[in-house]
Amino acid sequence: MFELLDREILGIITLTLRMTLLSTVISTILGVPLGLWLDHAQFRGKHIVVLINRTLMASPPVVIGLVVYLLLMRNGPFGFMGLLFTLEAMIIAQVLLLTPIICGIVYTASERNSSHIRTFAKTMGASKFQTQVLLIKELSNEIYFSIITGFGRAMSEVGAIMIVGGNIRHHTRVMTTTISLLRNRGEINQAIFLGIILMLIAFAVQLIAGFLRKRERRINENF
Amino acid sequence: MKISNLKKNYEKFSLNIDSLSIDEGKIYGIIGPNGCGKTTAMKLIAGIEKPDSGQIDYEGLTERDMTMVLRKPYLLNDTVIRNLVYPLKLRNIKPDDGLVNHFLEITGLTNLRDEYAHGLSGGEQQKLALARALIFSPKVIFIDEGFSNMDIESVAFFENYILEMQSKKPMTWVIISHQLSNIRRLCEHVFFMHNGEVRASGSTGSLLSDPRDEKLKQYLQYA
Repeated sequence: MFELLDREILGIITLTLRMTLLSTVISTILGVPLGLWLDHAQFRGKHIVVLINRTLMASPPVVIGLVVYLLLMRNGPFGFMGLLFTLEAMIIAQVLLLTPIICGIVYTASERNSSHIRTFAKTMGASKFQTQVLLIKELSNEIYFSIITGFGRAMSEVGAIMIVGGNIRHHTRVMTTTISLLRNRGEINQAIFLGIILMLIAFAVQLIAGFLRKRERRINENF
Repeated sequence: MKISNLKKNYEKFSLNIDSLSIDEGKIYGIIGPNGCGKTTAMKLIAGIEKPDSGQIDYEGLTERDMTMVLRKPYLLNDTVIRNLVYPLKLRNIKPDDGLVNHFLEITGLTNLRDEYAHGLSGGEQQKLALARALIFSPKVIFIDEGFSNMDIESVAFFENYILEMQSKKPMTWVIISHQLSNIRRLCEHVFFMHNGEVRASGSTGSLLSDPRDEKLKQYLQYA
């Protein structure tokens, strides 16, 4: 079983972490401002945009994978970029899956609390920029939750990245697709072993994130 | 501050204030039954909400010179001390230890300075909100039932504190209260509102002891 912990498996773990972190960071950069904007903006058809976002939050990964595949395939509109079966293609699919989730969680939290926060900011004479900073700070727990949810989704993803990444050895093979491959081959023990490592990584990430948040609070305690 | 032809329409309620004048350095009271538009009028005058039409001449005052304390104050998801100094932080003013300690002392929150503000009782939260509004020495302060959850002793203390402050460094106060004792002790001038309009106004003594408006007479019967 432990022969799995060779150079190849370490490469798979590294690629998994790269893909997960990059797609989470990009989705956070897109999803958080989008969620806040969606709450504050008033325009016709807003409820339809919210409805579409909620639908995308629950979209099946294989469908997203298929859409990205069709866009990136050689004869597709972005085929000239040669991104299919690369890490970049996997990240694009992940971002399409994660951004609506992060946006949706942030939007819901903002919708519930932002009017109180904005009113308070006005009573304190805060500028527009200061109001935005306050809003993000006051919603930090929900934003943190949205990022962790997105990270978890990225880490556990199989369907979409299998389609656009192709599960190519030494190139686009990540932990979840390897587990799926091992199961197909009947190598159940190795699949379980890799599954445990995946869970341990997820646990370690939660621990680190929790530690960073506690540290941030301690730093902020000195007014 | 001069207000003229102020209008705000909601689905089931309209606010119409023809003319109203608030002089610098005086304490004003707004009284009236529930739903008569006191809070709406205050929010419009304080610039928290925008009127549908009408003019408010702030005579050189800016948003940063005014503040408002709400009955259910919004407290930051943070410690008592960080809530207290928040308006100073917004204005890039370094909190002075003496000033901070003074406000902690008068609110009785010295021992709770590092506790989370959400854990405070309703009365303590109102005291913190009042201290937070006073700490940056605004020129105009609006209080919407800001003493309603405080115990009798604390209300008496803050009434005396406000009167003492007025004798030293007068500010403009506009106070909504259902406790006519607050209004009698603090306010020099009172506005009586009914059904979205200012029905009567005058000096506190004459208006409350010799009401001429029928609706005000009825209101005072139960007060």
